Formats: sequence, structure tokens, C-alpha cells
Amino acid sequence: MQARPFSMQVRHEDDVAIIDLHGEINAFAEAALNSGYAEADSTQPDVILLNFGDVSYINSTGIALIVSLLARARASKRRLLACGLSAHYVEIFTITRLADFMTVFPDESSALQTTAVTDSTA
Amino acid sequence: MHSVPTMIENGWELLSDFSVPSEQGNERLAMRQVTEVVQPLGLPPRSLDQLKTAVAEATMNAMEHGNKYQAEVPVLLQVLRSDTSVLVRISDQGDPAPADALEAPNLEAKLENRQTPRGWGLFLIHNMVDEMKVTNDASGHTIELVMHLKGDGHAGQTV
Repeated sequence: MQARPFSMQVRHEDDVAIIDLHGEINAFAEAALNSGYAEADSTQPDVILLNFGDVSYINSTGIALIVSLLARARASKRRLLACGLSAHYVEIFTITRLADFMTVFPDESSALQTTAVTDSTA
Repeated sequence: MHSVPTMIENGWELLSDFSVPSEQGNERLAMRQVTEVVQPLGLPPRSLDQLKTAVAEATMNAMEHGNKYQAEVPVLLQVLRSDTSVLVRISDQGDPAPADALEAPNLEAKLENRQTPRGWGLFLIHNMVDEMKVTNDASGHTIELVMHLKGDGHAGQTV
């Protein structure tokens, strides 16, 4: 259970900005997470997808950071989605009700497929 | 280190007794040590994940709110077991006055800036374990987390 510092990268697929999250989302992740979100938001995408596939740990401070990102997304009328969460963190997103406000997908391809279908029927 | 808990007299066996310095990030140390101690008990994976999160959050609360992140003031942990359950006791050395009643986290309120985005710790703990008890005495605050050895984890409630 080695501590893994947080890091992230932003990439784009059509109108979706994908933020690949790595390591641990805790108080130490705040600056990098906020800067990653700002980078993703700067291209004015319709959708921002948080990919948690390589995240090993999220604590309550990390949940608070995600709540703040969700508030920012809602303020700028962007859809914020999540994918790649482990079963344990899907449970935490459910009990905190984050999953009511940001759809949680098992993986990136299912998230992108759904956004593509949504866009084509909009 | 601690006064002997009543629960030991009622059939609880002490498995481990250790401390961690009150420094940010050290909840991971507590979580790792508790995981090693309870591994042989064969908790179902979901229960183990829930216990790990509860231990981490309770240790964070003890380090932050109890010991004010003073590294030289440790958080004390005990792991005990009975025939049916595992118990983790986490104690800080904070002001013995009971903590103020916390507002229950409400995601809508947080998204509308009517509540701080923080304040999830106790809510998560409560939803992760089968039983939880908080006590305050002259030496500080103690939280007891109980997870049953059988069953597939605690079914959490949404807010």
C-alpha cells in the first residue's frame, strides 16, 4: 500500500475533455486537480470525463474536491461524468449522492459511447 | 496506553496496539497496519474496504480535529476481536469537551454553496461500519468502529 502522489493528464476526444487521474485524491491533490480541471474547461467542452481507473485512494477531502469540481461544472453548464471507479468508490459515490449528479460509467469506452449517442440524439 | 475497555472484559481479545504521529497523510499508515492485523480474520472484501475507509477517516479526524496536526501528539489505535466482530478503537488527545454537533452533509447544499464542500468524514464512517460509538473523557475523544466478521459489509444509507 505504497503512497502514490496524485498526478493527472488532460486529453480530448471530440467534444469530451478527459482528465486521467492517477494516484491518491486527498488534500495533496488539490492544486493539481484544480489546474487539470481548468485546463480541461479552457477548451469549452460539452462534457468533462474524470477517469478514475488509476486512482488507488480517495479520502473525504478528495470527495470534497470532487464536489467542488461538480459545482464548477454545473455553474458553467458542462456535464461532468466519472468512469473507472472501483466497486468500493462506486459505493461511496452512491451514498454521498455524487452518483446522482455525475453519471458513473464502468470504463472510458462506455462513457464515450453514451456521450456520442446523447450528442447524436440531441 | 488506554484504560482497559469494558469490551475486553466482555470477550474481546486485543490483537494490536499502536500509534501514529498526527501528520497529514498518516491515516494511510493506520489503515495499512489495521489491514495487516485483520487480514487473517478473513473479512469479506467489501467489509475490508469499508473498514479501511472508516479507519482512515477516523484517524484523519483524530489527527486534525483532536490533535490539531501536532506531530508529537500521537493518535492511538487498538484492534480487538471477538468471536463475531472486529473492533478498532481510535483515540486522540484533544479537548475533552464533546465536539460540536456537525451538520449532516447535504450534496445539494454543497453544490449551491450553502454548505462547505467538506464535512464528509463522520458521515462516511457511519455508513461504512456495522456499529460506531464516540466517547469523550478527560484524556480526549475515542471512536470505536465495529465490523461483523460475517456478512457482506455494511449497507450504507444515502444522504
